Amino acid sequence: MSWLERELEERRLNRLDLLIWPIGIAVAILWALPFVWMVSTSFKFPADVMTQDIEWLPSRVTFDNYIKVFEYPVLRWGVNSLIQAAAATFFCVLFGAMAGYALARMNFPGRNLLFVIFLASLMIPVEVSVIPLLLAFVKIGWASSYQALILPAIGNVFSVYIFRQFFLNFPAELEDAAKMDGAGPFNLFFRIALPLARAPAIAASVIIFTLNWNSFLWPLLVTFDESMKTLPVGVAAFTPVVGSRTQIEGYSVAMAAVTILSIPSLLLFCFLQRYFIQGISQGSVKQ
Amino acid sequence: MSAVAHSIDHAGQETSSEVDKAGYLLVAFFAIPFFLFNIMPVLFGFYVAFTRWSIVGSPKWEGLNNFTRAFRDQWVAVAFKNILFYGAIIVPCVTVLGLVFALFVNKRYPLSSLARTLFFAPTVVSATVIGLVWVWLLDTQFGLINHYLSFFGIDNVPWLTSTRWSLVGVSIASIWWDLGLAFVLFLAALQDIPGEINDAAIVDGANRWQRFRYVILPHLRPVISMVVTLQLISTLRIFSQVYVMTNGGPAGSSSSPIHYIYTIAIVRNLFGYASAIAILLFVLILAITFAQRFLLKERGA
Repeated sequence: MSWLERELEERRLNRLDLLIWPIGIAVAILWALPFVWMVSTSFKFPADVMTQDIEWLPSRVTFDNYIKVFEYPVLRWGVNSLIQAAAATFFCVLFGAMAGYALARMNFPGRNLLFVIFLASLMIPVEVSVIPLLLAFVKIGWASSYQALILPAIGNVFSVYIFRQFFLNFPAELEDAAKMDGAGPFNLFFRIALPLARAPAIAASVIIFTLNWNSFLWPLLVTFDESMKTLPVGVAAFTPVVGSRTQIEGYSVAMAAVTILSIPSLLLFCFLQRYFIQGISQGSVKQ
Repeated sequence: MSAVAHSIDHAGQETSSEVDKAGYLLVAFFAIPFFLFNIMPVLFGFYVAFTRWSIVGSPKWEGLNNFTRAFRDQWVAVAFKNILFYGAIIVPCVTVLGLVFALFVNKRYPLSSLARTLFFAPTVVSATVIGLVWVWLLDTQFGLINHYLSFFGIDNVPWLTSTRWSLVGVSIASIWWDLGLAFVLFLAALQDIPGEINDAAIVDGANRWQRFRYVILPHLRPVISMVVTLQLISTLRIFSQVYVMTNGGPAGSSSSPIHYIYTIAIVRNLFGYASAIAILLFVLILAITFAQRFLLKERGA
């Protein structure tokens, strides 16, 4: 047996795989090229952008595009996005964990009905509720506010679902021991259950944070003031069709802006990929 | 020892059969914002849809006017026709490519975890990123896509600026964005297939295609159905990338129901009419969800 055949055998592959593998890897790299082009364009001089010469690695590099981006209130938008995503995620995960725990471990009439309502609500597209919600928020004077950005994002059923699944398989002995010591339900939840629910907490947090960081329609509708916009909504005005900033600044500045916008979610994904993938497959496969 | 264990077990059972009123309190923290900000607006929307209402002023009862108006409005027809085209392009591409990519990554090739990261990465970024990157890639004159297409003798395609291509241009970006979810769901399902089944098929002399056709595919049927439904619903709700890439244009050729709802509410300040169109979309989505449940049950029986 040659070295190659041994290697193939060990990995349970055959000769056809020798053809499939390079094609697959090439497609995977191709799939990431839009990101490479985005970053590459963001470091180019405007004169090197709108041209027929394709330079994947810019021959001369400038940081001017990034400086130009910050002439817009990008920092403010970033802070808004961070406040919105962090607060919504915190409350959604904490309250979701409490509800998931109660639905899985506690016995009270209406428990199953509540869970069915939570699940059934997944069939309602959020888009149906945004217009009346906007109307209501405007009427009570909450448009363009942090509470308008945060409150509707708390009731994300995904969080309840993930924690309920987790607590269903939670060993009863741990609870029983604490119950014998006279611990009340809140004590039980915060001292025994929650500290052991690290994995679902991280999975729910990264996914819900990313969803909130990227959320678009609601922040677009509810922020009338430039200073209350979130980063995705503010940066969207760089598109040639909605705003006119790309016509003024060119694509290099727009690419710098979207590079800044994509860094947090891409970083989070790179470091916590396992939780993303686990959370998503757990959250949907077993519905 | 066993007696103690038994009594603990017994105690556990006893408490678990008691009604635990604290459960309501624990659920309430989530349930209150959920009902106030996620359920109430839907119910409120059913009322708003029967009124004429703008940001300023008070509601005026309109009866079914908003609905009859929607059926006569040519732009509603255009938007709903467009999502059929979006669905016809995006759903099959995402499903097939997602499955192919998952089959590839599921094999224990070298670098397959890198491939997994790259296939999923576009899904985690915002619509603004997707939209702007693809507006630039699909630029008619200087875009990368047209540059490379010219090597094959294809003239500059006006991807986002012509009524003929705008829908396709937005679809390409959407496929790149949405594929990651289908891919991860397929990958999880593939990893659930016990290795022994595949091994047994190999021993029986089944070739690659036969193993896929008779071992893997039947196992994946429920996931395929779920991916198709999820993707179909998310395509019916297409908005952000349309807003960023074409703003529905040119001449409404890439608009979608949500985009039209947005225009009606924000630009024309007709909240009642916007809510009525939203309800029509809701009904369509519900119908598709139930149809999928029904078909899946029929097949399972």
